[in-house]
Amino acid sequence: MSRVAVTGVGIVSPGAIGIDSFRALLDAGTSAIAPIERFDTDGLAAHNAGLVIDFKARDYIPPMKLRRMNTLSRYAVAATRLALDDAGIALPNEAGVALGTAFGPVQTSVDYMQEYVAKGAALAPPQLFAESVANAPGSHIAIELDLRGFNVTVTQRESSLLAAAMFASGQIVKGTVPSAIIGGVEEVNEMVFSVLDRLGALAHADGELTEAMRPFDVRRNGMSIGEGSAIFIAEGEPSREPYGWIAGFGIARDTTATISDWGTGGAQVATAMQAAIDDAGISISEIDAIYASANGTKRGDLLEIRAIQRLFGDDVPPVVATKAYFGEYAAGGGLQFAAALLAMRDQKLHSSFGFEEGKPEMLTPVREARPAKLRNILVNSISAGGGVVCAVISKERA
Amino acid sequence: MRKSDITTRLAVTGVGIICSIGRNQSEVWRSIVESRAGIGKLSKFPGENFPTDVAAEVGDLDELVPIDSREAKRMSRSDLLAVIAANEAIAQADNGATTALSRDRAIVSTGTSTGGLLEGESFFFDRLVRGRSRVASSRVLQQPTSGPSDAVARALNLGGGVLSNATACASAGAAIGMAGDLLRSHHADVAIAGGSDALCRLTYSGFNVLQAVDDNPCAPFSATRKGITLGEGAAYLVIERWDDALARGATILAELCGYGATCDAHHPTAPHEDGRGAQAAMRGALAEAVDGLHVDYINAHGTGTLLNDSAETKAILAAVGDDVPVSSSKSYFGHTLGAAGGIEAVVSVLALQHQLAPPTLRLDTPADDCTLDYIPHTPRPMMMTNVLSNTFGFGGSNVSLLFRSAS
Repeated sequence: MSRVAVTGVGIVSPGAIGIDSFRALLDAGTSAIAPIERFDTDGLAAHNAGLVIDFKARDYIPPMKLRRMNTLSRYAVAATRLALDDAGIALPNEAGVALGTAFGPVQTSVDYMQEYVAKGAALAPPQLFAESVANAPGSHIAIELDLRGFNVTVTQRESSLLAAAMFASGQIVKGTVPSAIIGGVEEVNEMVFSVLDRLGALAHADGELTEAMRPFDVRRNGMSIGEGSAIFIAEGEPSREPYGWIAGFGIARDTTATISDWGTGGAQVATAMQAAIDDAGISISEIDAIYASANGTKRGDLLEIRAIQRLFGDDVPPVVATKAYFGEYAAGGGLQFAAALLAMRDQKLHSSFGFEEGKPEMLTPVREARPAKLRNILVNSISAGGGVVCAVISKERA
Repeated sequence: MRKSDITTRLAVTGVGIICSIGRNQSEVWRSIVESRAGIGKLSKFPGENFPTDVAAEVGDLDELVPIDSREAKRMSRSDLLAVIAANEAIAQADNGATTALSRDRAIVSTGTSTGGLLEGESFFFDRLVRGRSRVASSRVLQQPTSGPSDAVARALNLGGGVLSNATACASAGAAIGMAGDLLRSHHADVAIAGGSDALCRLTYSGFNVLQAVDDNPCAPFSATRKGITLGEGAAYLVIERWDDALARGATILAELCGYGATCDAHHPTAPHEDGRGAQAAMRGALAEAVDGLHVDYINAHGTGTLLNDSAETKAILAAVGDDVPVSSSKSYFGHTLGAAGGIEAVVSVLALQHQLAPPTLRLDTPADDCTLDYIPHTPRPMMMTNVLSNTFGFGGSNVSLLFRSAS
């Protein structure tokens, strides 16, 4: 058994730039999800999202390079700079890069097609095409830092970050690379937002109910989405006291899931959680908290609750739902992972923003932030379509 | 965390493929044996003003899809190509075995560059004309690049997990390598790994505006080469741990010995001129062959662009030497982008099975900077034990897969 240290975290998030600012956002117990001004939401049911507002890319990237980067690449490169500053190290050339993104460069593709329509198929800008591949952010990170190890981009909906982390951690344990950039990146845009809205996936006002993401709450009616980037410096031999150790992963698929929805089985979700715990070399009783996938969707949250109850029985550890702070998909799932790492470092559970009212037979998440002795945290990601990836992060190396 | 143990042998027990030269492995191999390319005039997207009009297209899929038509209608073309190829691969893996594959523990790992972008483009155009409130959003359910993996898992009822790799043209190679590691670390027992990509307007236009498309069928490594021919298709391998495959009585087609994955860290679209990342990827793959070996044949990335073919030749010279026959099967079916690593991995497995190296078609005069033996025009019977399959992509991502004969 081997574990991978996370020694630096860089955050470009709704409501926060940098890890300290992100910690303050969580500690304040308020959400960065707010009304959208970036694009028109008239006629849609939802109007809020977790958007990165106070971000100045030129603080991190020279102007000549900025011109060659789309928003995703800017977020990811900036978050990488912040993560390296946080770790206080430079990575060796052998290091790899693994990023996750749910929707990737949809906005860049839209921008390209608008030019295609306006100027013709032969005259659209080549620069936009170069940035229309999902791995452009990872490529820019590698070029900026001269990182020549693996460079992959995983796009597995809500599980994108954990799937990328599973691959990169595995490569460090295998000995292919000594260290890696693990991260996630996402951009909220009109196309994705309006499609999710029309599909009924987004939290929305309904009668007396205001528009809000309410993970695990009885009144939940959908997710809010978010953006940004979270970058993690992962090392086999830590250069400093780590936030925590990536200890294990489990992967499965809920075979009852449909193309756009979560399933109802729960067995495979429980299988993935159990697999991550086994991979970490610990027992279920050693899990001190669960940082849940909960995103405020009726079926997704119910599936996760059933799976947690199935696996943990009457001894469910404290469960924390973080996504109402910044939105689903935020940083490709990276902000949820960053929150779990902060919990481990600070030995403190965050409050589950957005939850107000549960049901006795359901699950009540942590409502008030509180100090806690945390040895191992289970982090879940459950995707529409059935994909599940779970991870365990630990306080100790072994 | 369990380690991926490179001494754990991996068996390929099934392959499935669909591309412009065939709708299954038999048709594809027959085309290769007969040196018959599947490149012609672009028939999709009539009326568009592309500077070139050559493509390697797959025809209508309706009769090939092994699932209910209602379910098929909710899938993108990339999804359907993936399901067709994966279904063939799984059928072969189960054929003659005493025990069927464990579908509950089968992971799907797909590389794709465009996913459902073709359908996303139509959605985009309709929105422009009719407004966003009048176009059904259900039409783009399949657009994300997670679509093909999800579609394969859903259609074939696989419960081990889904992974999607969108690492440009290295996607499928990375997806196969990733799957191999998950088997070696026992995170899964079976992997359905490969790639899928359908032609779409954005990529056809994009490579043209980059001036990377040949106005004739591509001629990799040739003095007259001017760029790629865009193609489409899908291919999957069924991969299992060797001992598991033996235990269930499966026929082993080849061994996946390992892979190397690197980055040039040089340029967003162009390869490093000396192919430094490609060299390192090939060396990485060879390093996973624990008992040392001699490479007998390289199925090259061989796109037909000036930069790639020159850089790849230098990389092969540096990493493997000058005495290894090399060819580009893209001269048959074009560059299938995110699917290329899967399609060419299947071609490499078929080459090992048949002990016949595919040629590079249309290679009348090798370029001055292409100095290797590229097997021009016709297939070459030869003894092959070890085969490298290269795939490289935008962003300088490189993957090299190493396959070994099952015998």
